Amino acid sequence: MLCVTALKAAYGKIEALHGISFHVERGEIVTLIGANGAGKSTTLKALMRLTPPESPTVTGGDIAFEGKSILGMEGHNVVDKLKMTLVPEGRHIFGNLTVMENLTLAAWTRRRESPRKDIEHIFELFPRLAERARQRSNTLSGGEQQMLAVGRALMTKCSVLLLDEPSMGLAPLIMYDMFRTLKQLNSEGLTIVVVEQNAKLALQVADRGYVLDTGEIVAGGYSAELLQHLEIKAAYLGG
Amino acid sequence: MQRRTLNIIFFLAAVALVVAAQAGLLDNYTLTILMFMGINCMFAASLNLVNGYMGEFSCGHAGFMCVGAYVGSLMSVGLFTSSKLFGAPLLPPELAPFLFPLVLLAATLVSALFGLIVALPSFHTRDDYLAIITIAANYIIISIVENIDAIGGPRGFSGMKKTINAMHGVIDIPWMLIWVIISTVVCITVLYRLVTSTYGKGISAVCQNEVAAEIMGVNTNRVKIMAFMVSSGMAGLSGALYAHVYGYVNAQAFNILKSTEGLVMVYLGGMGSLSGVLLAAIVFTLLIEMLRFFIPMLNDALHALSLLPADLEVSQIWKWVIIPLVLILLMQFRPEGFFGNRELTHIFPRLRRWIYFR
Repeated sequence: MLCVTALKAAYGKIEALHGISFHVERGEIVTLIGANGAGKSTTLKALMRLTPPESPTVTGGDIAFEGKSILGMEGHNVVDKLKMTLVPEGRHIFGNLTVMENLTLAAWTRRRESPRKDIEHIFELFPRLAERARQRSNTLSGGEQQMLAVGRALMTKCSVLLLDEPSMGLAPLIMYDMFRTLKQLNSEGLTIVVVEQNAKLALQVADRGYVLDTGEIVAGGYSAELLQHLEIKAAYLGG
Repeated sequence: MQRRTLNIIFFLAAVALVVAAQAGLLDNYTLTILMFMGINCMFAASLNLVNGYMGEFSCGHAGFMCVGAYVGSLMSVGLFTSSKLFGAPLLPPELAPFLFPLVLLAATLVSALFGLIVALPSFHTRDDYLAIITIAANYIIISIVENIDAIGGPRGFSGMKKTINAMHGVIDIPWMLIWVIISTVVCITVLYRLVTSTYGKGISAVCQNEVAAEIMGVNTNRVKIMAFMVSSGMAGLSGALYAHVYGYVNAQAFNILKSTEGLVMVYLGGMGSLSGVLLAAIVFTLLIEMLRFFIPMLNDALHALSLLPADLEVSQIWKWVIIPLVLILLMQFRPEGFFGNRELTHIFPRLRRWIYFR
């Protein structure tokens, strides 16, 4: 469904991706793993068609969504038309708005309808958010903020969800909870691409994975194979 | 009914003002100040949309006021009066009171168009760049106007008084006061409805986090350009009214100092607070007028106490020392302005029972 071929991306003159290729099928969980600076986040930003300066410019290769190139698209159209969205690294929630307002705002593309039903669905998924509905979101704990970021992404009614390091800064228990929820969402039909530094955790949940290293894909395959591979190269990936 | 108490009070106050002006209870000076309050309210509130709600930094807002002032003046002179520039009036002057809103509308639309021209290249950049581009736009607009000799160039342009006289010829009521009041109410209502709508929430989303806004499907570029156009259009409207209240326009009246006045009002009121900025516009207008009396008093007092040498005078120019000083003190002791980004109804929740606004 999502097919990336020989993608090159650069920030200004500095090339961050040197021609990577991978694909994602509908209903899969695919993970991109690798160390800091490997180009994982860059890949997601390129997929989302976000604009510079925060995001890279694509200098070569192609990104195709259901066979059609999306390189000419803008970020908001990727969300609106392709139903693909991102949970960015560092969450990027609207700190001075309440949980409720954050979620309502995320239904922007459907702003003529009432978002009430969708919000209730999010609250079922993350009961903690329901308790905090009227609270300013920058007073939430890290885990709750991450839930809100995921909830907000789901409010766009996406069918493909890209996550950038959802485990960052979370306590292990909450981290497992988060991945369990992702697995549940996936079983309900959501396609997920998740970028992680915690390779073992990611591979336990994902169907397939790719290993990135300094802007190139160095390994790829089914999670079980990669996990075995990982154990051999434990030191290389920092276990 | 109770919920509309304050609305009714405001309405009655406006009517009372018009009646008092008609009965001659208010002298021309008081009336002019009242009208400038309205004009400053529009000017500051429109700037607040860009600098407050959207978090961009527009520094040349008076440029759009200038466009509106000249477009409005030229139209009203051309349509309703006989002038050297346009010759005989295009329309019978008796229509002036009825077609004047069209003049205001044209000034608004042309200024909004100028806003679009400025916004298109500049919104690919952010922050400081927008500030620089808007200052440049301010200077460019003034230079263009000053170099067109047909509309008076640096001497300014006048003749709008004739339009007002034409209005008074039809029915003798304080027309300009009425137009200022109506325009101010329309501007405030439009701005309030815009920022409280979901579309307006998109504006504050852009302000807080552009990436997050984009990944929720907000077309950040379009939202920004739209808000900028609304803002510059309203500045143009305030400019057209300004020109008609004075009966004379001069491009230098809309230079960087005027833009700075707008910034002072926005920061005084609190960025992103509509009620705060309106209050600040009123306070600021009063403050400037009070200085007109206060500075000679200070001058006399200093001379009487012989604290100043006899040949040294404290002149009105000191206004431009005192106003920036107010801004500096404000930044030092209350950087968030009167209300921060909150509204009057957030600070006094009980007010909500008495006012109906949507």
